[in-house]
Amino acid sequence: MADDNYARDEEDFDEEEVDETSYRSVKDAVLFAIDISSSMLTPRPSKDAKKPTEVSPASAALRCAYHLMQQRIISNPHDMIGVLLYGTESSKFYDEDGKSRDDLSYPHCYLFTDLDIPSADEVKALRALAEDEEEARKLLKPSEERVSMANVLFCANQIFTSKAPNFLSRRLFIVTDEDNPHAESKSLRSASFVRAKDLYDLGVEIDLFPISRPDHNFNTSRFYDDIIYKTAPSDGEAPAYLKPDTNTATAKGDGISLLNSLLSSINSRSVPRRSLFTNVPLELGPDFRISVNGYLLLKKQEPARSCYVWLGGETPQIAKGITTQSADDTGHVVEKSEIRKAYKFGGEQVTFTTEEQQALRNFGDPIIRIIGFKPLSALPIWANVKHPTFIYPSEEDYIGSARVFSALQQKLLKDQKLALVWFIPRKNATPCLAAMVAGEERVDENGVQKVPPGMWVIPLPFADDVRQNPEYARHAPPDDLVDAMCNVIGQLELPKKVYDAQKYPNPSLQWHYRILQALALDEDVPETPDDKTIPKFRQIDKRAGDYVLTWSELVDENAKSMFGGTAATKSTLAKRGPKDQDAGNPPSKRVKVEGGTTNLDDDVKRSFERGAVAKLTMPILKEFLTAHGRATAGKKADLVDRVEQFFEEKI
Amino acid sequence: MAQKEATIYIVDVGRSMGERRHGRSVTDLEWAMQYVWDKITTTVGNGRKTANVSVLALRSDDTSNELREDAHNSNISVLSRLGQVLMPDIRRLRDSIKPSNTNRGDAISAIVVAITMINEFTRTLKYKRKIVLVTNGTGPMSDNGLEEIQKKIVSDGIELDILGADFDDPEYGVKEEDKDPHKAQNESLLRGFAEGCEGTYGTLEEAIAELETPRIKAVNPMPSFKGMLRLGDSQKYETAVQIPVERYPRTYVARPPSASSFVPVSKKTQEEEGDPKPSQGDALTAVRMARTYQVDDPSAVGGKVDVERDDLAKGYEYGRTAVHISQIDENITRLDTFACLDLIGFISQDKYDRYLHISNANIIIPERANDKASLALSSFTHALHLSSFYAVARMVTKENRAPMVVMLAPSINAGYECLIEVQLPFSEDVRSYQFPPLDKVITVSGKTITEHRNLPNQDLQEAMDNYVDSMELDHKDELGNDVLPIDESFSPLLHRIESAVRYRAVHPDNPILESPEILTKFAHPDEELVKNSASSLKNLISKADVKKVPPKTKGRKRQRETEKPLSGLDVDALLNQEPKRANISPDNAIPEFKQMLSRAENIETINGAVKQLCAIVESQIKNSLGDANYDRVVEELGTLRDELVDYEEPALYNDFLRSLKSKMLLEELGGDRRELWWLLRRSKIGLIDRKTSDRSEVSEEEAKEVSKSTPSLQDDTNASAVPFSKLKLWVWTMNYEPTIHENGTSYDAPQERFLMIL
Repeated sequence: MADDNYARDEEDFDEEEVDETSYRSVKDAVLFAIDISSSMLTPRPSKDAKKPTEVSPASAALRCAYHLMQQRIISNPHDMIGVLLYGTESSKFYDEDGKSRDDLSYPHCYLFTDLDIPSADEVKALRALAEDEEEARKLLKPSEERVSMANVLFCANQIFTSKAPNFLSRRLFIVTDEDNPHAESKSLRSASFVRAKDLYDLGVEIDLFPISRPDHNFNTSRFYDDIIYKTAPSDGEAPAYLKPDTNTATAKGDGISLLNSLLSSINSRSVPRRSLFTNVPLELGPDFRISVNGYLLLKKQEPARSCYVWLGGETPQIAKGITTQSADDTGHVVEKSEIRKAYKFGGEQVTFTTEEQQALRNFGDPIIRIIGFKPLSALPIWANVKHPTFIYPSEEDYIGSARVFSALQQKLLKDQKLALVWFIPRKNATPCLAAMVAGEERVDENGVQKVPPGMWVIPLPFADDVRQNPEYARHAPPDDLVDAMCNVIGQLELPKKVYDAQKYPNPSLQWHYRILQALALDEDVPETPDDKTIPKFRQIDKRAGDYVLTWSELVDENAKSMFGGTAATKSTLAKRGPKDQDAGNPPSKRVKVEGGTTNLDDDVKRSFERGAVAKLTMPILKEFLTAHGRATAGKKADLVDRVEQFFEEKI
Repeated sequence: MAQKEATIYIVDVGRSMGERRHGRSVTDLEWAMQYVWDKITTTVGNGRKTANVSVLALRSDDTSNELREDAHNSNISVLSRLGQVLMPDIRRLRDSIKPSNTNRGDAISAIVVAITMINEFTRTLKYKRKIVLVTNGTGPMSDNGLEEIQKKIVSDGIELDILGADFDDPEYGVKEEDKDPHKAQNESLLRGFAEGCEGTYGTLEEAIAELETPRIKAVNPMPSFKGMLRLGDSQKYETAVQIPVERYPRTYVARPPSASSFVPVSKKTQEEEGDPKPSQGDALTAVRMARTYQVDDPSAVGGKVDVERDDLAKGYEYGRTAVHISQIDENITRLDTFACLDLIGFISQDKYDRYLHISNANIIIPERANDKASLALSSFTHALHLSSFYAVARMVTKENRAPMVVMLAPSINAGYECLIEVQLPFSEDVRSYQFPPLDKVITVSGKTITEHRNLPNQDLQEAMDNYVDSMELDHKDELGNDVLPIDESFSPLLHRIESAVRYRAVHPDNPILESPEILTKFAHPDEELVKNSASSLKNLISKADVKKVPPKTKGRKRQRETEKPLSGLDVDALLNQEPKRANISPDNAIPEFKQMLSRAENIETINGAVKQLCAIVESQIKNSLGDANYDRVVEELGTLRDELVDYEEPALYNDFLRSLKSKMLLEELGGDRRELWWLLRRSKIGLIDRKTSDRSEVSEEEAKEVSKSTPSLQDDTNASAVPFSKLKLWVWTMNYEPTIHENGTSYDAPQERFLMIL
């Protein structure tokens, strides 16, 4: 609920990305500019024999835009996105009041989705355009006359100026297969260059997503190198020597591969680079510092909080909550500055002045200070408390930071070492001891960077954060048992033996937004979620089934010989199938032994069939529910309900 | 559940305890109390009702104890009975623990009194019983019936600690020179007594030194998941197996206590109750939160109206569309799940990137008291270890919780065996920011070069290699393996705050203590290590040739060449040919302003450009419907400010901002624009002060005042009645009330009331 946000706020305090110096609001606006020419509209068949499809570059671009729009609703709910089609026969823009109208001031520019946080209707409209041929054909008609690129760029300029003023990040994504739009007209070319400079001076970054034609490779030097700048001027955090990577990701080939490579390169730039901290000194030794920027490349994405919606008006509206703080004794409203912080102690409050509070929390200025090096093997796999921070050099405070950082990173990579660091990421942040490890660059099959090169700062637990391991009776497994399990494991490697996060979308997050989308668009709520984290059971059975059985039999044998007859009653394992139900032996003391075998599932099932679940005891109900992943909270009646529900579901 | 406790502290308050010895700045009693207070306040800080503490004064002036009939037990008084200690008790104890005027009183008798008190209090119930005696050992002590007392202590299961000021302790290295023979006799008596009843005997110095080392609160392991580690789907396939397992945290961040908000009790309440607390400082009252809700309504004053809580439904934002969810469907967006730990597949240990860990670590162990499960899980753990794999699994800890993808790593050593479990990122958790390579530079034309000012040359690389090797840490475990000093590192904030709270509770008027060194032990490299690597470092510094950028020239623009596109085309030349650009167009103000400045050859051009932009800003404010143009104005002013700092003309900006402020406050720019002023203030684009630009004539304080000062509602008349001039003008309002604008923007008004400088 909206009111329990406070606890969360406090927790998030450490994580907040802050920009203390800038007057700009830390938001991102992306405007797609998609070229609608006849070549962009020509479908490209895919040769996949199983499902031959045709995708035109324009529709691939629209699908990418739709995909990005959906994705950003989840990942960046406060950021804007818009879609501008250019080269269309029809034109559409808004006048100064912000209302849309057919306007000829930007001929052949069609503002399909205005730059804004997308509404459900806009999502729907864009999807229709991307997926519905009919809809698309009506609108996607190339004009006879060539559109002026200068006009397109100025049109984008006006959209950014009026719709996303003062945004820290504003980006124009141009998707086109035309590498030389005004080959014949020098004046039109110059006009485009000037308008591009305007965008640059406005702080808009142009990202080009070039598409090669079947008979012609896209050549940026013919036009686009003159309108794209090395760094966005507003991106003060950009490393000194960024990023002529526009050449690397030209989409080409048939429809599907074109779509995929476009998706991959757009995805890689879907989020604007926001730093967690900038120009923090990395101290290699006394009196030797360089400066680095920090980024959160890995962070758990949570669904947006619920809010309150006001239903009294024509359309539902989000109600903004305002908190007022009042004194408990008189009820008068108190100001922030009056508030004192106090700790509960011995039934009263122990107070400190604001200055004392600050002094208690102050452990010095932000720093990453190396206090020594260790082999990487010294970092235990369990020594982790949260996500790491990625750092990359910045030349802003210390010239030469990049080369020193690079030398250190290469040394740590080569020798498999880590640096132990004292880490204070921001002013007044809690210090921690951390392991700084070097990370290598990783690229995907399209040549798009997946993991940047740099270093990762992994906060270590303090002694206070390490919990004691509970004791239990251990039994060393015989070698043949271990070997049997090795055989199982060998059958079930993930592709390339690595974990690829991209293959596992968060199922509950996706489901949350999938349902919201259905509700917002007034569509049917889907019945089954698409959960990629559910193991591929069929493959497991097919590939490893026999090995599993071998191992399972060995476990039984060994257990029998190691623990004798008594142990069988004390142990519950392992094998469980519709026909093979002799496993799942519960502790015998609780269950009546029937026919020599003890079997919790069977007992409970029989009780269910007799309608006598309610006669089972609480421990049995609980054990049964636990074994099936059901909640065990509540009164007995609740548990009985749950057990009955379990069997009813199965029938 | 933590065990119930009954602890009695026997504090020697005899006259001799009031003396300072061996050059110490504190008396024996003060010294002893450092230890006792620390122990007592630690117990208080835990806030447990079952932790009972009592304090006995030994060698006190008067006698007040259960056994006072017996003459042996004179000069022993109970300062507080066994029970939970709260703040009033602390205050009372603080006031009553003072050196007495007598040296009479037998320590052994005090122990007998304490034993009796514990017995009466705890009877035969399960308790952790403890007696702590702190003394300087100069009082009279009788050895009558020692053995019986010792037996009683042992049979009652009482733990006895005896600590003495300047007691000899060869192990710790304390030996008092010229020891008084009577004291020596006492020491040996106490030592023998403690040792005879399995108690401890030590010197105070050691005990106090140990206080420095933070105590770690042990937490009883509680399983966060009990269920099955499964391979395959047992509902569908006969080959599915499952092992009953439990999950416990391996790491869990211990957070410092959180402070709550309070305000001083209003004077009125204090008078009414006629009972101003005798405690330190002001009495406090809690702060209550109230929440009201508003929605946009263009027809209302201020554009917003309050709505009733009852008219609100729970909902979510989908983009900018509000989606409400009726109560019946409350959980409609929740993914239905059942608790599970299902294996997905296996990955190679060598190829795993350690930085993918995004959570704390847990352990997975077999269900307890289940031998077969233990055997089965152990074979799985060993198989992972043997084949160098980690397992990837889907985990749901409780029904209807969100699924996680976790990594399971084998952990096998002599003492323990388990699986380590950590969360892995989902695709949504990975943000792909791109960065250029660190070992090469790719040029615009796509050429790869390996020699560049941003890349280390061979000299630098070698110097770095040497330095890193010279700074190797030597922490090893008992087997000689490299380890990180996790055991010796303590959470600085946690212990700093906890000890400050404890100290403040006893010494409300003292300033807070410095942070103990042990908390920041790892803030700096070891001195020895630094010394040994000094020459390598010196070499590295010279090879690295790193230069600090002087703060003044950061981002300076004047000398910088203008940015060019990738091709290097001279766009400025093209711009110069554009005839239209003599005047800044309001539609394209920022780019044209920047371009005009970059072309400017003299101050007049700069002046002109600034004037034009200022006019545009004013007209945008004037024509803004509500706050429609505010963000644009902030952006334009911010740009203006940045550029003029770069061009070293801060006065142009400062003059304009002053005039703009007065115009806004006098409502000359289309009515009430105070909200915009607040926005400007929040955006930190006030006057350019001397710290930002050395050409500025405005001090930091002055700049702060100008952006702070804001009129409150009732001062409108005052403000507009004051003619604008360059004079400084101070206006005070006496009855300041916080101002809430109709639209709900709460102005966090300055503390020092209303104050304005123009």
